[in-house]
Amino acid sequence: MHLSKDVDFLQRSSRSAERHANLSLFQAFCTQVRVIFALIMRETLTRYGRENIGFLWVVGEPILFCGGVAVVWTAVRPSHEHGLQMTAMVITGYIPLTMFRHALSRSTKAYEVNSSLLFHKLVTPLDIIFARTTLEVLGVLIAAIIITFGAIILGYMAPPVDWSFTYAGLFFVIFFSYGVSFIFAYLTERSDTLEKAVGVINYLSLPWTGAFVMIDWLPPQYRWILEDTSPLANAIELMRSGVFGSKVVAHYSLMYLFYTCGITFLIGLYLTLKIRPHINMS
Amino acid sequence: MIGLRCVDLTKCYNLGHKKNTVLDKVNFSVKKGEKLGILGRNGAGKSTLIKVIGGVEPITSGNIEYNMTVSWPLAFGGAFQGSLSGHDNLRFICRVYDLDYNETLDYVQGFAQLGKQFYDPVKTYSSGMHARLAFALSLAIEFDCYLIDEVIMVGDARFAQRCEDELFGKRADRTLLIVSHNMDFMRQVCDRAVLLHNKKIHESSSVDEAIYSYFSL
Repeated sequence: MHLSKDVDFLQRSSRSAERHANLSLFQAFCTQVRVIFALIMRETLTRYGRENIGFLWVVGEPILFCGGVAVVWTAVRPSHEHGLQMTAMVITGYIPLTMFRHALSRSTKAYEVNSSLLFHKLVTPLDIIFARTTLEVLGVLIAAIIITFGAIILGYMAPPVDWSFTYAGLFFVIFFSYGVSFIFAYLTERSDTLEKAVGVINYLSLPWTGAFVMIDWLPPQYRWILEDTSPLANAIELMRSGVFGSKVVAHYSLMYLFYTCGITFLIGLYLTLKIRPHINMS
Repeated sequence: MIGLRCVDLTKCYNLGHKKNTVLDKVNFSVKKGEKLGILGRNGAGKSTLIKVIGGVEPITSGNIEYNMTVSWPLAFGGAFQGSLSGHDNLRFICRVYDLDYNETLDYVQGFAQLGKQFYDPVKTYSSGMHARLAFALSLAIEFDCYLIDEVIMVGDARFAQRCEDELFGKRADRTLLIVSHNMDFMRQVCDRAVLLHNKKIHESSSVDEAIYSYFSL
């Protein structure tokens, strides 16, 4: 009885490695989706384990951070700045900022620490960095939903005037985060110096992200710094134009966002496809 | 029938500005079903060769032609996430290779017999337990060729018996590439052996001859 079960196990073609060779484009796509899902599940477990709330920390971490800052700022700062609600300003600033920073800092040396995954031929560097970034983005996104609706229900924030602008802004923040994450995953793998510098870059780029100000608050001669060099500031402006409506003068360009985020992403994608020979296997 | 063929296979590592050549235009082929032993001193590049064939390390130049599916290298380190439990690693493999979870769990539990420790982090495993898990998980996927780097020799008697049944019994038709310093084992299992020395593969007419030239290095 036992033996026959084993023979059955052996002969099942569903277990053969053969079926992962010579895939059609559609099958390859399905494989990639499956691998990325496996990586996300694995990453969640490795990072948060099963202790206390476990994987809920994916969302809990950004909630504590964004929510904490929102609560503190709401408490200590005047309720309105330049005629805008403080809580809404903090939320629309900190959520994109957290998403971007988490994606960036998690991308450093992403390949080296995950090199053991590359033992499996179905797993590629693109899958690894895509899964890693997706986990960050998803975590912050769910946290954002909870915080925003929490603030709206508690009356600290008015619902966005135009949701479509808010979503569009958020879309570009996510798009840009992926691109930057791909690029830094490559660069930090190639250069140890840069890896050390990422923390500093992350910190020094804070004002450049435009998370704390509206571009319109700046003196006109300095506005170009955020308007023309920072995709993130543009995306946040777009988001805020949706949240505050006609109460703000938003400085952004959809064309600019489309091009910069698109090019950043394409460069990141290109570099990711080139990284494999440079990854040191442990 | 040729299972895989290495053509002018070269592998270099870049250490800072120094280039370290490990394999220099290696040529050899493996027939389907063959049990090939790879001998060589420490640092000769045996593990590197196995990793290159397994697709883990990129090739510097040359080519490997595959005519069969090749497993990942079964070795110490690599392939598993130490902070995850054996069970989590199994789930990951199931997802990546699209295997049925319950069926695989049954098989791996039965083969590896790790009991409760199956749910402990892999980094707490002894080398024998590690080997058992590595074997069970890779045998859960039916590869045509298994790459075995040392890991087979550390198991206890029962594990050796189970390997005997599963690997050399039921899967007698599979190709094996084995790296080991245990010459008795090599003599018993392999039907051909090559010696890796000075970045080159040296063929021999028999396993005994290869072992002889290994000892006379």
